[in-house]
Amino acid sequence: MTRRDTQRSAIKQPHGMSDRIQWLRDHFFQGVERAWNNEFTCWTTGTPWDVVYDEITYYIVPETYAFLQPFRSSTLQAARPVPLPARFWHWTLPERRAWMIREVMVEHVPQEVLPGDLVAGARFNILASRCWTKPEARARDRRILGRKGARAAVKAFHEHGYGNAGATSGHLIPDHARALKLGWRGIHDDVEARYAELSSRERSGPRGGQLRAMMTAATMARELAARYAELCDELAAAEADEARRDELRQMARNLRRVPWEPAETFWEAVQALWINHMLIMADENYPGPGVSFGRLDQLLTPFWTLSLHNGMEREFGKEILRCFWIHANHAYDAMIRVGGNQGITAGFGQLLSLSGLGPDGRDMTNDLTMAILEVIDELSPILEPKPNVRLHRDSPDELLDRVVDMIGSSQGAPFLLNFDERSMAGMLRQAHEAGVGDRIHAGNVHDYASVGCLENTMVGNDRSGTVDCNLNLLKAVELALAGGRDLVPAVDPVTGKVARITQDGPATGDATQFRTWDHFWAAYAEQTRYIVERCVDLYELSESVRAEFSPTPYLSCLVRGCAEQGLDITGGGAELNFVTIEGVTFATTVDSLLAIKHLVFDERRCTMAELLAALRDNWEGHEALQARALHKAPKFGRDDDKADAMAEAVMRSWTTETWRYRTRSTGRRFRPGMLSWNYWVGDGYVMAASADGRPQGQFLSNAICPSNGADTRGPTANTNSVGKALGGRSDDGAGDWQDYVNLLPNGASHTITFNPSLLRDAEHRDKLKAFLRGYAANGGTALQVNVVDSELLREAQRHPADHRHLLVRVTGYNAYFASIGRELQDELIARECHERW
Amino acid sequence: MVTEGTVLNIQRMSTEDGPGIRTTVFFKGCTLACTWCHNPESIDARPRVVWNGERCIGCHDALAVCPTGALADTGDGIRVDPDRCERCGTCVEECPSGALEVLGRAWTVHALAAEVAKDRAWFERSGGGVTASGGEPAVQAPFVAAFLRACRDQGLHTVLDTCGEAASDRVRDLVEAADMVLYDLKIADDMQHRLHTGRGNAVVLDNLRAVRDLLGPGGRELWLRTPLIPDVTATADNLRALGGFVARELPDRVARWELCAFNNLCEHKYTRLGQDWSFAGRPLLTRDQLDRLAEVVRLSGVDPDIVHVTGAARLEEEDR
Repeated sequence: MTRRDTQRSAIKQPHGMSDRIQWLRDHFFQGVERAWNNEFTCWTTGTPWDVVYDEITYYIVPETYAFLQPFRSSTLQAARPVPLPARFWHWTLPERRAWMIREVMVEHVPQEVLPGDLVAGARFNILASRCWTKPEARARDRRILGRKGARAAVKAFHEHGYGNAGATSGHLIPDHARALKLGWRGIHDDVEARYAELSSRERSGPRGGQLRAMMTAATMARELAARYAELCDELAAAEADEARRDELRQMARNLRRVPWEPAETFWEAVQALWINHMLIMADENYPGPGVSFGRLDQLLTPFWTLSLHNGMEREFGKEILRCFWIHANHAYDAMIRVGGNQGITAGFGQLLSLSGLGPDGRDMTNDLTMAILEVIDELSPILEPKPNVRLHRDSPDELLDRVVDMIGSSQGAPFLLNFDERSMAGMLRQAHEAGVGDRIHAGNVHDYASVGCLENTMVGNDRSGTVDCNLNLLKAVELALAGGRDLVPAVDPVTGKVARITQDGPATGDATQFRTWDHFWAAYAEQTRYIVERCVDLYELSESVRAEFSPTPYLSCLVRGCAEQGLDITGGGAELNFVTIEGVTFATTVDSLLAIKHLVFDERRCTMAELLAALRDNWEGHEALQARALHKAPKFGRDDDKADAMAEAVMRSWTTETWRYRTRSTGRRFRPGMLSWNYWVGDGYVMAASADGRPQGQFLSNAICPSNGADTRGPTANTNSVGKALGGRSDDGAGDWQDYVNLLPNGASHTITFNPSLLRDAEHRDKLKAFLRGYAANGGTALQVNVVDSELLREAQRHPADHRHLLVRVTGYNAYFASIGRELQDELIARECHERW
Repeated sequence: MVTEGTVLNIQRMSTEDGPGIRTTVFFKGCTLACTWCHNPESIDARPRVVWNGERCIGCHDALAVCPTGALADTGDGIRVDPDRCERCGTCVEECPSGALEVLGRAWTVHALAAEVAKDRAWFERSGGGVTASGGEPAVQAPFVAAFLRACRDQGLHTVLDTCGEAASDRVRDLVEAADMVLYDLKIADDMQHRLHTGRGNAVVLDNLRAVRDLLGPGGRELWLRTPLIPDVTATADNLRALGGFVARELPDRVARWELCAFNNLCEHKYTRLGQDWSFAGRPLLTRDQLDRLAEVVRLSGVDPDIVHVTGAARLEEEDR
């Protein structure tokens, strides 16, 4: 009882920082005021047809559609020419691109070391020439532009309320363990040996070009580290402070060894990891989103242990980590002048996983796990890199105590929580469905890790396109109601042009003539088949273009399978080669189906014609029916077995459809998941009114969460519903992993908000710990815990300037409350007040 | 054998009604009528139809269907005439928005036991379980006892939360079905007790002695709970006297004594029920007041370690 409730919800302040870190952190938050920043710089071959902005990777961001052409033009205008070697245009495209990235990063982008920094590697945000010949640029434009191009197709898909899809960068976990163990020298030698084994015919073909490109890329880190080593020596020579001079000299020595040679010390390993990581963002011209580290505590523990044994102070090891943390935040500089809050909007998701199960059901929490959590606690609030703590039924109390303490002392968990049992069940289901049991099996599934937010993948050999396809499941309900046609006409948000309604989906018949619920369900299932297929077809447009025109040879060096096949990762070179369809609007879909069944078929409160009229009128003039849909129809999220059975039926239906497809160009198998970033907000304005009582303009449901306000039975009921929707636990013990079933191998984002009173004393914190253990038994794959009271949020809404650092968690990403739109702010406040009596 | 009971509310993930994470079942009907009651809708044992203005969309659809004409639009909202209402539920069915609501739903033992078992995963990991509360569970003693036994048969930990004002055999039946008892101790002075709860405290104190003997030394736990009501229970004299009773009559038999801070969150319930509440507008106790009251109890002769204060204190200037 020593601390008061009100203090629990005060804004978290960083603490325990050295002068060095205080300066680096303050410097970062100065944003545009800084003399130095890591803003995109643009680089061109100088040809008039050059492109430096690859719009494909932004197809999943509908807000950018209106700006794709201006971005393309302005970035080229801003681009500085890079002098090319004589043979440049004779090389294959991957070789040109590998050379270009290396040239820009080593010879053109300045190298800097900030005062006191212990890790080198500053600027990495570049937009570099795509290096296309004129015929390549033309051929690509034919597939991107025009009425039948990918750009128009993705725009139409979005405007008609289906969602979005595009081949997107990032969102994978490279094989950092191998890069630290072998160094780039080892990776280079391996590629070289594979090249040597090619026939002369193969060498002059695409495999030869790819491996040559990868050899060039494999030297980039060495060249860049050499420049930074020189810089550190120069700085040391001019440094008056002896201690700092020694640090700079040691950094120079580190950089002369790593990342080219295998790392030996903790400092070397962190230095190598940072350069290897930042060059991925340079290679993809994509700053941060989803470029994840995997199980960082496991990856670095051998170095940590050895260096501690050899005399490194634990505190100094943490200081190295803190520098690494600051570096990751500089990814946001990419668009530092765009929008408010210095380009920081939501978390980019350079994700790292901590703790979790190991072989034989062992818990893998170690000293470095705790040291990293300490660093996060000391630096928070800060956005990058984003931690995801893996919990399981037998997670040690020591870890849970720490986790719950950190939840209590900030405005919610400064990390995501992942749950191993359900997650591993999903990965094993994937192995089974896709026939990749040699790569994912009971013996290695514990080594899975999350990408971006909570998207589960394997490590070092897996690209699963976890944000590439975002499909509004609700569209199938709309099409089933309207016989395969849009319920209301689509509108172009820029021109205001209203589209003609056409027969887009299969003609499943006039819904007003359906006699039974089974009839309606059959139409819904057929429309679900259609929307999944349409999503797959849309994705193919950008996937095939990327595969042909946008190789990433540096990244390909860090993903197992690419060198072996002589195939770029964008061509499908990863051993585990998947694309995820993220189902959006899940609860709105389930609740709409429940409402149709309840209102039209079970209770016969209205006819289908009346319901259709109400939806076309956006419920206006049909308030009583709308109220009945909102308040009397069953809802997902209340642990109501009948409603949750509908949820599971929806889940089985759309996931079964998803498993049926592969990309044609790259052979990537589709798999299901439920992340829904912020689409549930924006698409709420695009999609027609829904039968659950939601009017057009109101938000859809978020990821696997119940609809806003529907979870009237509290967190445990909410959790049970989510677990059941994923398939629950098998009665006969035969689940995907032990008795756990998980229909979503990617995992599903789930947010629960608690009142701060649950954290007010040790006894209540024990109850929250028990809640998390219960979640592992009954819940989903991933949970975000928000602990914010509505009063604080209202205050922040009234006085945003006083609350610039207030972080909230929304569907898997973190955002500064002041930076999110008014509607989303209101939504978060409403979520705090859903108690009835 | 009573086959059905009337339940006001089932509160899952309850963290304030005994150890661990619990599901608290609030049974309808109370033997007392405390002036500060936080659950006034629980006092009457019968179901009751109420109208919630903030949910009403003004459609009036339900008014026409009432077979006894118990509903009327007063111009200031819908009034449900409790004398004419036969609790048939027709209007509640017809009301589309949930503005008309029936407080009190019939459950069978079997269905209720299955419902509370849904949170077994959390009970097991938190040392929690099921709490029977009210109202006063003894009002429906045969049903509640059967329910608690059904919970116990499923391996769920059971707690009885009682005010103690009931026939001793009813209390005994309930205590026998419970793994632990939460017992309310409100006012030491018999007259004051009568004034503020409608009954004297002789039965409450007698039953407490009986509960003590039923639980036995070192056996099932007994927790006491005292609501801290400004000027009524939350006086130094009253708390000192209660402490004296506990020290004298229950030495070493109370595992925990919770002093539950007054809160005013129930004010809107009175409005909704069309009743006045004598504590309307009363601020919460300050942290200092709570600390001082707890100190009185700790110095009253009981083991000071058993005393806990729960609930919220008034937000003071420095906290804002």
